Amino acid sequence: MKLWRIAARNIGRNKKRSFLSLSAIAVAVMGIVFFSGYLKGMTGDLVRNVKTFYSGDIRVQHEDYERYGYLNPLHLRIEDFESLTAGIERDESVALTSPRITFPAAVYREEETFKATGLGVDFGRETGFQNLEDYIVEGRMPEAGKNEALVGVGLAREIGVGTGDKVTVMTTTMRRGTNAVTFRITGVVRFPLPVLNKTRILVPLDRAQRLLRMGPSVSEILVKLKEGASPAGTAARLKEGLGEDVLAFKTWDEGSVSYGYIKMATAVYNFSALFFFLLASSVIVNTTMMVVFERVREIGTIGALGMTRGQIVRLFLFEALYLGIIGSAAGAVLGIGIVVPLSITGIDLSNALQGVDMEISGRIYPALNPVLTIFAFFYAIGISGLTSLIPSGRAARIEPVEALRSL
Amino acid sequence: MKRILIRVVIAFIVPPSVFAVSAEDVVRRLEKNTVFETSRVEGSMVINDRFGRKESTFISYGRGTDDMLVEFTSVEEEGMKILRTSDELYLFFPEAEELIRMQGTALKESVIGSDMSYEDMTGGKGLLSSYRADLKGMEDVDGFSCYRVELEAKKDDVPYYRQTMWIDREIFIYRRVHKYSRSGKLLKIVEIEEIREVSGRHVPVRMKLVDSIKGNSSTYFTVTDIEIDIPLDSVLFSLEELTW
Repeated sequence: MKLWRIAARNIGRNKKRSFLSLSAIAVAVMGIVFFSGYLKGMTGDLVRNVKTFYSGDIRVQHEDYERYGYLNPLHLRIEDFESLTAGIERDESVALTSPRITFPAAVYREEETFKATGLGVDFGRETGFQNLEDYIVEGRMPEAGKNEALVGVGLAREIGVGTGDKVTVMTTTMRRGTNAVTFRITGVVRFPLPVLNKTRILVPLDRAQRLLRMGPSVSEILVKLKEGASPAGTAARLKEGLGEDVLAFKTWDEGSVSYGYIKMATAVYNFSALFFFLLASSVIVNTTMMVVFERVREIGTIGALGMTRGQIVRLFLFEALYLGIIGSAAGAVLGIGIVVPLSITGIDLSNALQGVDMEISGRIYPALNPVLTIFAFFYAIGISGLTSLIPSGRAARIEPVEALRSL
Repeated sequence: MKRILIRVVIAFIVPPSVFAVSAEDVVRRLEKNTVFETSRVEGSMVINDRFGRKESTFISYGRGTDDMLVEFTSVEEEGMKILRTSDELYLFFPEAEELIRMQGTALKESVIGSDMSYEDMTGGKGLLSSYRADLKGMEDVDGFSCYRVELEAKKDDVPYYRQTMWIDREIFIYRRVHKYSRSGKLLKIVEIEEIREVSGRHVPVRMKLVDSIKGNSSTYFTVTDIEIDIPLDSVLFSLEELTW
């Protein structure tokens, strides 16, 4: 009888043992598939959030703005932003632009003050830029020219306000004066980022300019590029083409704190992934070795019946490969079966992320990592096959009489 | 013998007037000079910081130690008013529908970007009710002979735990003030650069204020016009009038 057939029969002979081995391989592969999908989803979410809510693909600011950012240097502004925005939008790689003013604010209501981050935006543009309309859970978008505001759901809860209520926003003006304006809340927004829900108050751009006494200027223009366009190439082209010497055109990953977070997070994730791989490998190695060592007596018997050492080793290699293929396939299918539905429904982390000021959404949508899934499949087969060689090789070297006495 | 000799020498050299006054007397005379029944002041505030120079103008009305109304007249802050009534401090902005009562940590914020905090505008109570005064001797400040008075807080409800004042011996106006935190950190420096006589009273008309925590910053207050003990309508210091 051929060795591969005997190996296949052996798997069926001891169902419990085979099931244990298959389960270990399947769980390890499933874990790798899920974990890699989860990490891919989280990293993608972080990058998407940074681009959508903080930097765009390219951020245009006064060249000194970032340096003095902690001092809220609104005087380092972009004047005549409308013609600059039009110039940027003429570039074929540019999909959307979002002129904005970000400012620290104190929201005052009934003798209580709450810290917030104000954002003056053109609501018409933001619908496309950050899908703002989708995040409104109550009320409507504010209208330009009116003292109206959208408030993050967490901030609204903290202040104790809802649609129709009024809040007074006090802030430092462009020339370091103080001003306050009362806004009527037209809607409450639930952003994907918990940190935004806790702090954001959005007002029409023209009202922010009035509050901050900035005239027709903004503190930054975010640029969203068309799919596949190069941020670095477009930034360089815009800088050269528009001839704006005092403005910096920075790509989302250029010297930004958020990108630093992403790099750090990726390093942590990669380390976690490596750790998980090692953990999964040790489970497969342990189980395979245990299964082979458990069968030393059996090895002695088949040796006594005339099977050569090489045949014995190949027999166990075939067994391990079969188990590896079935276990890996089951694990990959299970992993895909978990990741794909979760990539639609997401994993709710909002409670866990309470108080975490990172650009990670409250709901993470894992994304299947095909490369790592295929790698995990073959890796598990390879590991279980290779691992079987060591104990089976050793066992095959034992004299049949000795092996039969070993248990 | 040596000690007796030193005492005799000191008795002859140091004028008797030094020992004739107590720290409390000096502070009382200072407050008598700087607190007016009523006053109307027009002035400017020039702020110099790392981003340049900024000038704001204002008109302020005062009544005794408690009440003060400051109305900003410069374009940047036009219409903004600050009202102090005994222990309360309110801000009025033309486009805000409610008055903002400054309290808690908000009091530590800067008044229109200057080196003065809202906290500096509170505390209408007399110095002696909040601080223990100690006369530390005489020192010259810019050529003027001054009493050096150390003030230490009796309670925690004051913005500065300790203050050192150099009070002019002749006219009982402080020439310089250093304000410290409880840990001894120097927080603010006040220097009077010009004093003018108005209606028989000495009034500081140019003052430099430095918030030493901010760094690279100073604020000059200049009085361009001042009227003392003039009739003022008491409703001027009411919340109703502020929102009117």
